[in-house]
Amino acid sequence: MEKLSRHEKAQHLIKGITNLPTIPEITTRVAALLDNPDVELEEVADMILTDQVMASRVIKIVNSPLFKPMHEINSLKRALIYLGFRRIREIALTCSIIKAFEGKKGAFDIRVFWQHSFGVGIVSKIIAQRVRYPEIEKAYICGIVHDIGEVFLSNYLENEFQKIIDLISGTSHCFVDAEALMLGTTHCELGLCLAQKWNFPQEYCDVIEHHHAPENATLDPMLVAIVNLADLFCSVRQLDYGGREWVSFNLAEEKSWEILQSFSPNLSGLDVERFCFELDERVPEILDLVESIFEGLH
Amino acid sequence: MKLSDKDFEALRDFIYSICGIYFHANKKYFLESRVERRMAEVKAATPAEYLTVLKSPMAKTGELKKFLDEVTTNETCFFRNPAQLAAVEKKILPELIEAKGKIGFRKLKIWSAGSSSGEEAYTMAMILLEKCAPTMKDWSIEIVGTDINETVLAQAREGIYSPYSVRNTPEFYRKKYFTPEEGGRFALSPAVKKLVNFTNLNLYEDTKMIFMKSFDLIFCANVLIYFDIAAKSKIIQHFYNNLQPYGYFFVGQSESLHGVNDKFKTVYFPGAFAYKK
Repeated sequence: MEKLSRHEKAQHLIKGITNLPTIPEITTRVAALLDNPDVELEEVADMILTDQVMASRVIKIVNSPLFKPMHEINSLKRALIYLGFRRIREIALTCSIIKAFEGKKGAFDIRVFWQHSFGVGIVSKIIAQRVRYPEIEKAYICGIVHDIGEVFLSNYLENEFQKIIDLISGTSHCFVDAEALMLGTTHCELGLCLAQKWNFPQEYCDVIEHHHAPENATLDPMLVAIVNLADLFCSVRQLDYGGREWVSFNLAEEKSWEILQSFSPNLSGLDVERFCFELDERVPEILDLVESIFEGLH
Repeated sequence: MKLSDKDFEALRDFIYSICGIYFHANKKYFLESRVERRMAEVKAATPAEYLTVLKSPMAKTGELKKFLDEVTTNETCFFRNPAQLAAVEKKILPELIEAKGKIGFRKLKIWSAGSSSGEEAYTMAMILLEKCAPTMKDWSIEIVGTDINETVLAQAREGIYSPYSVRNTPEFYRKKYFTPEEGGRFALSPAVKKLVNFTNLNLYEDTKMIFMKSFDLIFCANVLIYFDIAAKSKIIQHFYNNLQPYGYFFVGQSESLHGVNDKFKTVYFPGAFAYKK
């Protein structure tokens, strides 16, 4: 019952916004091109090049720690060859989401939001590899988009969201609980509404909706558990929202840990302490990546 | 001397496997200078050659100890690990006060194991005085610092510190709880000193360890470095037995108990983690 009302509340809030961000047309056109099995690389490259910002971001992402080419890739065409068609769709989508939320002032700095999001994306990728999840790129993209509801709150319900930030500041409460208390809905339901509006794939919607309660995931619990765990680790390893929320968790009690262990029994032997120390070392890389994606755009 | 990434990683993994301390990449320069010094001493031509020396069976009683001494500068100071302290302040103390308050058991026991000159134990005392004084008025608070070294215990009891020891102390605490002395040293306030007792204890001595009962918080930072895995595992088992079900056990900021004890559960806080039953 409560679930339903949170959804309704989210829908109502989203309906009330007239200038809702949109996913640029180019993304749908790139996706349509890629759906054609006979598509030529040249065509996709030409299409992406019509949007210079997107083209330069694709190149930056290819050169990021995620894909780690041996030598720096400077041309879009080489980037596309390196990535392969499947990844292009996902990267084009990532670039579009960044663009959709750009240029609007919000309750928090959009870079801090993307630092957390890319952090969760990259950590999701690392966890996906450890648990041998077959679709690593999907885990990466789902990590990046899991909190889109949060950026909606920051940009479109700025005053209300500021009150939430003030409420949790200095306490050990999290955004999701404070949102439910203050708004009657959370960034999970709001994110889901946005994702549906933007025709995101079902698995992405599942992650966005359930990333704080992976036990409720129906479509791909393993994927949701990966993102949940990545989110938790990022929240305690400097890839939080600039310290605005204060997270703590007991790994053995986390549902996501249970879910992942059921799929990947060797996980119980993972050196979780070292995993954390290694994540700390990745933080500067992630911050650099986000810096480079936004470079020269503000 | 510059260490190649490969040599750095090999040394880091070796140190981690021996004593559970993880060297972050940003500490590479530190490791470089220490390794260089030790290499010159044992006349090793390359880091790889030095690593072979460290791994040799003979090193256990000689070079390995010297190397660990060099790389684990065991200096302590007040407010040494802000992330751990934030976890204690924000999460652990409120949780303990609530849990124990509910059952009417108004006693809090904290142990700084390997306390050295007392900075960690006294830091906890100051935090309790500041953060919990109103809510813990009728509580009995017991903070114990233990060490095997009488000299450092005497320093702890004396409570006079160098500027280096108080360098991380927030100004508020420094002004309120320290008095500058002649010669630039700082005397700790008697209100803090009276909250902590220091005693001599060898962590390896079972007969004494079994009497360290019912602690809510145990700190044992960078102390277990020299113990081999069997000894470490025995000591950790004592900590486990002596910790309350809702208590927390902290090791050093870059230290890990992986492979030493599989009973403890890991609890994560921003920038820190602790162990729990």
